[in-house]
Amino acid sequence: MAKKIPVKDFEPKIVVFACNWCSYPAADAAGINRMQYPPNVRIIRTMCMGRVNPGHVLKAFEMGADGVLVSGCHFEDCHYSFGARKAAEQYKKLEQIVRMLGFEKERIRQEFISAAEFPKFVKVVREMVEQVQKLGPTPLKGVRKVPSRKQVESIMESPPS
Amino acid sequence: MMDVGRHPHIKLFTHTEVLEVTGKAGNFKVKILHRARFVDENECTACGDCAEVCPVVAPNEFDEGLGLRRAIYSPFSQAVPSAYIRSDMDCLGTNPIACGKCVEVCQKKCVNLDMPDKIEVLEVGAIIVATGIDYYDPREASEYGYTRFQNVVNSIELERLLSPSGPSGGKLVRFTDQKPPKRVSFIQCVGSRCIRRDIPYCSRICCMNAVKSALLIREMYPDAQIDIFYIDIRAFGKGFEQFYQRALQEGNINFVRGKPSRLEEDPKTGDLIILSENVETGKTERLRTSMVILSEAVVPAANSHELAKVLGARTDARGFFLPKDACGDPITSTNEGIYLCGCSTGPKDITDSIAEASGAAVRAAQYLSPYKLPEVKEEIPDYDISGPLRVGVFVCHCGSNIAGVLDVDMLKIYAASLPDVVFSDNLLFACAESTQRLIQEKILENKLNRVVVAACTPRTHEPIFRETLRKVGLNPYLLEMANIRDQCSWVHGMNPVSASAKAKDLIRMAVAKARNLEPLEQQEMEIGHNVMVIGGGISGLETAIQLAKRDYTVYLVEKSKQVGGWVKELRILYPSGMSGQELIDTKLKEINKEKIKIFTEAAIENISGFVGNFEVTLRAANGKPAPETLQVGAIVIATGFELYGPSKGEFGYQKYPNIITNMELEYLLKPQDKFIFQNKPLKHVSFIQCVGSRGPDGLPECSRYCCQAAIKQAIALQKMGIQATVFNRDIRVYHHEAETMYREARKLGVTFIRYTPENPPKLVGDKQLKALQFREPVLKKDIEVPTDLLVLSVGMRPSRKSIAEIQRFIKVPLGMDGFVLEKHPKFGPVETNIEGVFICGCIQGPKDISDSIGQANAVAAKVDALLARSTILMEPITSVINEELCRGCGTCVDVCEFGAISLQEKEGAQVALVNEALCKGCGTCATYCPTGAIDIRHFRDQQIESMLKAFLLEEDRV
Ligand code: FES
Repeated sequence: MAKKIPVKDFEPKIVVFACNWCSYPAADAAGINRMQYPPNVRIIRTMCMGRVNPGHVLKAFEMGADGVLVSGCHFEDCHYSFGARKAAEQYKKLEQIVRMLGFEKERIRQEFISAAEFPKFVKVVREMVEQVQKLGPTPLKGVRKVPSRKQVESIMESPPS
Repeated sequence: MMDVGRHPHIKLFTHTEVLEVTGKAGNFKVKILHRARFVDENECTACGDCAEVCPVVAPNEFDEGLGLRRAIYSPFSQAVPSAYIRSDMDCLGTNPIACGKCVEVCQKKCVNLDMPDKIEVLEVGAIIVATGIDYYDPREASEYGYTRFQNVVNSIELERLLSPSGPSGGKLVRFTDQKPPKRVSFIQCVGSRCIRRDIPYCSRICCMNAVKSALLIREMYPDAQIDIFYIDIRAFGKGFEQFYQRALQEGNINFVRGKPSRLEEDPKTGDLIILSENVETGKTERLRTSMVILSEAVVPAANSHELAKVLGARTDARGFFLPKDACGDPITSTNEGIYLCGCSTGPKDITDSIAEASGAAVRAAQYLSPYKLPEVKEEIPDYDISGPLRVGVFVCHCGSNIAGVLDVDMLKIYAASLPDVVFSDNLLFACAESTQRLIQEKILENKLNRVVVAACTPRTHEPIFRETLRKVGLNPYLLEMANIRDQCSWVHGMNPVSASAKAKDLIRMAVAKARNLEPLEQQEMEIGHNVMVIGGGISGLETAIQLAKRDYTVYLVEKSKQVGGWVKELRILYPSGMSGQELIDTKLKEINKEKIKIFTEAAIENISGFVGNFEVTLRAANGKPAPETLQVGAIVIATGFELYGPSKGEFGYQKYPNIITNMELEYLLKPQDKFIFQNKPLKHVSFIQCVGSRGPDGLPECSRYCCQAAIKQAIALQKMGIQATVFNRDIRVYHHEAETMYREARKLGVTFIRYTPENPPKLVGDKQLKALQFREPVLKKDIEVPTDLLVLSVGMRPSRKSIAEIQRFIKVPLGMDGFVLEKHPKFGPVETNIEGVFICGCIQGPKDISDSIGQANAVAAKVDALLARSTILMEPITSVINEELCRGCGTCVDVCEFGAISLQEKEGAQVALVNEALCKGCGTCATYCPTGAIDIRHFRDQQIESMLKAFLLEEDRV
């Protein structure tokens, strides 16, 4: 892999998976308290962190995300009792895959943030953005492009082989 | 407001007065006067055409006269009902000159200048008084020059000035020069806690309100200097202390103890000079500031006395309604059938008011027929969603909460350019009643079959918009929200350009998901009507009593031999003067043996099931046989708290023999007339407050009860001729009458000495503690307070053991303080994240007796609201198995700890089968399925993927 030069002013795109019961409300609470964090993250809500499998994270990278944060409740707090625990198991697998694929493990992160811990949410997002900024754009950038409308149409029209 | 406005069982009368009440509990006749609003309430769509043509300009009451309105106007933007109203005082009417412009312009002909007042007689079973508060007029405290000095404002005016939808657009500027203030000084307790002003009580809300406003100002003006002059900082609610500490550490706010004696104005600059005594030096100092905020007292609503007369209920001299027993029954008024809640009985914050409101509701409900609700049949039209996708996007301004940061017009245009979007529009308040109707119109008009609302968080508002869809027949699950407020405009307020770009992404992602949504149907489920209450303290008892009155069968489980918890140990309760045991006895008398089954010395063996259908197995705590299995529809957890146990050596505990905790003192004081310790009469007793509260060891927040308890004990000692000294950090007596008790204590000669955690009083003595030493700030000298007995006022802490016990079966989340986390700190104080499981009393956080009883009533109301029907609807968000892909490996069966999945034989092969009543839709099984045969409704792989794609790949596509 080519050596990456950290790009200045590079605005990373970071996907956050947050569970409905702890981390998503924490993100809301950050808003209610008007805490500020860099606008690089987009939060995708799932009911539980247990829903997020390595496949979703890898898909995000394949599509060009520069970092992915998976966030849910503390083990004891998970609304579904075992979801967060299982998610931590899955995350281990994800780490292995990321290592195997050979890109920086700092691009992924798992956090356990309760609804009351919105300052932690803000802190984690800030750190994550900073860290990914240092790493530069994802090496997978541009691997998958969306076909233009024209291409789609032509594919649709050509008979399947 | 919205919920009340559209509830099928609530009739709302605004602009209405109660004239006369006759009859008795269960059968009141209430004569009411509808004052004419001159606009047809049901027809008005709040289009605003009338106000536009109105030539009159009058000060806007909602903005405290800082803004303007017309003679016909909407009181404020989220008003319910949303209909406009005409002020008879301001309107030119037809006299002296004929105006009537509004009548002409209104297309729906809603305006009627001759609308008469109307009198109506209602028949009701019970009455609830929730008349709230007014504000003390700071002009009476003339030393602060309110209205004489322009740059002195009161806290409500400040609230409006800081509000983004307020008269100044959320900018705080001085009135004299319209410039941002360099220094803002808050003065607390203006009017409150002051006999001279006839407001002997603490207003409870102003401390936290000032801290909150100070932090807002800090955010707005990072360089401004901010001071708060205070007597005590009373941050006693759940999480309040942490908020206060944050203000201390991060807010860079200058907290000054002491109350300024006077203000002067520098007429040249408009600056103000604060004259105040420095408690450290004892000298009067002059401090120049640019703006002063007065935290004025809270007083009873105007006309409370008259209303009380009409209702036949009693008030105190000031006009607050008097409950039957402020400690044991804070909700019932002195007149049977009339209940009190919120600030009608004294100042209260939102959380406590909401709990009391629910409590009053359950009391009132006892006069209505038994719990079964009439089943309302609603006509829901059919709606055809077949055909190509037609997405509608609504972009909410949320006043200026969103529109103040994001370019909402651009967002609307942008949304329209997204695939399959056939309609997009801006809304001022998407959640407003009138707007809901507008959305419905637009859905029908444009034949929308997917709806995206870009507004606030789906956590609070998804149910509202789903209901909007449902009403027109559109399946409620065809809605997706983009959270452009809580997670965008609010957190990127400093960065509007990127925030708008982010909002574009969020909307694009929501549209992508909406395009992939499918309609889902909710299943109906039968529910049980018994209730399990765990914990037999005052909270548990009260809950059981109230539920039994509503005809539910209640199982009350208590681990010890007797019910009554901590309360039965207390010697004397304030203000009633009865003992704890007496209070418990009165409550026990109310226990209906047929409806309430008490299990003492019992513990929980197992809990399974789900809302409406729990199965609880009990076990005898000490090996007695016969475990019982009970079917219940709801569970209330009221297992209470534990007292902080000081570690050895903490404030000399267990090092000196003459140091005890306040609970130990309570036991010693029990035989009322004599008090001996170590066989000696005592002369001096000292208390140290906040042991195990408000600090790193023990509880991070205030334990609420200990100031009042210590004062009560100090008074008792003082009356026996013993000198009591209370070392405290702040005296937080927030209850209505407690301030009076505090005053009595000082009159009796109890000494109150302030200490800080950095400089606690030092212990003097070898074997026996002889004295406490502290540094007198004014004299700059160490002073010793002789002490024969030291009492440590220990805080409350969560009872880890009983919480852990419950958590084995029910995963209630815990807050950072270790207490059980409520669903919402303000709006859901007795609900948990788990449907059908409720909490009340000190398991949620420290509380005193009357607060606990208030919550117990609230919980009864919530349980009642849940179980007062025969069936409930189940969430359709569950997992689904693609049987073609399933190869019957059983991984999911092992993963699911709810036991919702089993393997079934089907056409000779094993396939997984989901029990939808048990499945909670977490989605963990899908993550583990090796063949990808499991998917989760509403969070399908394809739906998640479409959002990723929209975010990462489709940015420049349109
Ligand atoms: S619900 Fe938050 S991680 Fe399971």
